[in-house]
Amino acid sequence: MDKIATGGIAKDETATDEIILQTRDLSVQFGGLKAVNRVNLTVTRGDLLGLIGPNGAGKTTIFNLITGSLVPTEGEIIFRGHQIGGKRPDVIARMGISRTFQNIRLFPQMSVLENVAIGLHAAPKYTVLEALFRLPRAVRSDREVNRKAMEHLERVGLAEYHDAKAGSLPYGLQRKLEIARAMATSPQLLLLDEPAAGMNNEECQSFIAFLRQLHRETGLSIVLIEHHMNVVMDLCPRIYVLNLGEVLAEGDPREIQRNPAVIRAYLGERRRTARAGDRA
Amino acid sequence: MGYLNSIFILGGINVLAVVGVAVLTGYTGLFTIGHAAFMAIGGYTAAVLVVKLNQPFWLGLVAAGFAAALSSLIVGYPTLRSKLKGDYFAIAMLGFGEAVRLLLNNTYKVINGAIGFTGIPLYTTSLLVLALDIVGIWLIRNFVISQYGKNCVAIREQEVAAELMGIDVMKTKLWALAISAFYAGVAGGLFGFYMTYLVPSMFTSSKSSDLLAAVVFGGINSLTGPVLAAFLLVALPELLRFLYVWRLVIYGLLFVIIMIFRPQGLLGYRDISWASLKRFAGRLGGGGRRSGPGLKSPPPARVAASGGGR
Repeated sequence: MDKIATGGIAKDETATDEIILQTRDLSVQFGGLKAVNRVNLTVTRGDLLGLIGPNGAGKTTIFNLITGSLVPTEGEIIFRGHQIGGKRPDVIARMGISRTFQNIRLFPQMSVLENVAIGLHAAPKYTVLEALFRLPRAVRSDREVNRKAMEHLERVGLAEYHDAKAGSLPYGLQRKLEIARAMATSPQLLLLDEPAAGMNNEECQSFIAFLRQLHRETGLSIVLIEHHMNVVMDLCPRIYVLNLGEVLAEGDPREIQRNPAVIRAYLGERRRTARAGDRA
Repeated sequence: MGYLNSIFILGGINVLAVVGVAVLTGYTGLFTIGHAAFMAIGGYTAAVLVVKLNQPFWLGLVAAGFAAALSSLIVGYPTLRSKLKGDYFAIAMLGFGEAVRLLLNNTYKVINGAIGFTGIPLYTTSLLVLALDIVGIWLIRNFVISQYGKNCVAIREQEVAAELMGIDVMKTKLWALAISAFYAGVAGGLFGFYMTYLVPSMFTSSKSSDLLAAVVFGGINSLTGPVLAAFLLVALPELLRFLYVWRLVIYGLLFVIIMIFRPQGLLGYRDISWASLKRFAGRLGGGGRRSGPGLKSPPPARVAASGGGR
């Protein structure tokens, strides 16, 4: 428990030593390119883990591997004791892993409420026959889903927009809705892919507060990919740095900021490109 | 009277087939140019059961639906498992439709192949068609507002996200396909017992594209739109009959105009319900008074962008 002592969050309530997700030598290869190479990640219950790295480091690819959108070429992904590498995305989702996307992927023509409801009834609680004849069990289940969806919207402060089309919401609210939808599947592990992308400083601050509260209230394990360093450093007691598909460093924000390899990965690249520019 | 009755019956049969396609294309976003094959399968199944095996007519219709639904799994399982969508799925369905038609065309035992299956009694009445239309539309409406229906829409809107929310995409699509095939099958059964004979050339791909056209014309994500369109598309050529050769030109022109000015279809993303009729009446009476929050109306640009279902 003391390994997350530097974090600003209420560690005692949420973090435990119980490992919820573990990748072992996780690798994926696209043709000749090793997009992810022997990555070992460990997420414990109640963790709020940061995943950072320069563009093309393989962060989103790791999310795609964990959620089943990609099949690993090597290595294992263990989620709560089960090997999930290569399983179908919907099966993995129902096991308790949910995510948001770098480029928002809501259901734009559906209402805000319906978007969240999908998270609740991806596997309907009644048969197709009951749906066709609208038998009592279907009516009851639909009502229950709507009630729960409303609760999820209230928690993120989107209740007043429940009737609006998701695609008509402003950008920041769409991001929030995506998180609400992911939460509706009642996941054990939430993967957020650049949730603060495109936000200004002020919006980032309120987003940090929002995410911290969500994390404290639910005790959920969260993995966060983010380019806003202040968001990651502020929120995450433990950070993994990826570069060129490999784990470069792991540690608390202070260690990461001082790590010479990390600094080189971020700044060294820039110097190289500058020199390439000179030559041209 | 007989002429109007015939338009009503053929229109009603078309409505039944089209609401099925509405589930598959309008809600789930899978385009099909092969549903005439399910009508054919349904039509021949009912005819064989009733005429050759002396079963009651109602049993023939039920069997027509199930035979079509089962055969839809034969084409649906391999195509949807390999995640065919968009044009590719449509082409697979086109192939299936032609294969079924050619099979029937060359089966001379029992069904008489290209010569045609004759001697089917006239059992389909306007009252029966009306009753089946009402029940059929009611069932489909229940389906699309159910959790299954919402899952279908989610798949059309954003398949990647739908799958990552935990929706079994293949199973949901198979259900949509099977239901649409069931409807086409029953419609085919009614059709055979109205025409009193069946020839495979009744079920060409142009019949399939008529069904698809009614859904696209009527509107994506809508039931009332396709129902109206299905009926109109049968009645319209008859109404335009006085124009002789120009009839089909105007028919085609109408399509082009609709697709230019309302690419989402006449009633795309909306349905006529009591509430919406009341709102409409209120707006007429109240001088354009808006009801509900301003956010309710869809941004037109997005409608066009995501309407394709690809």
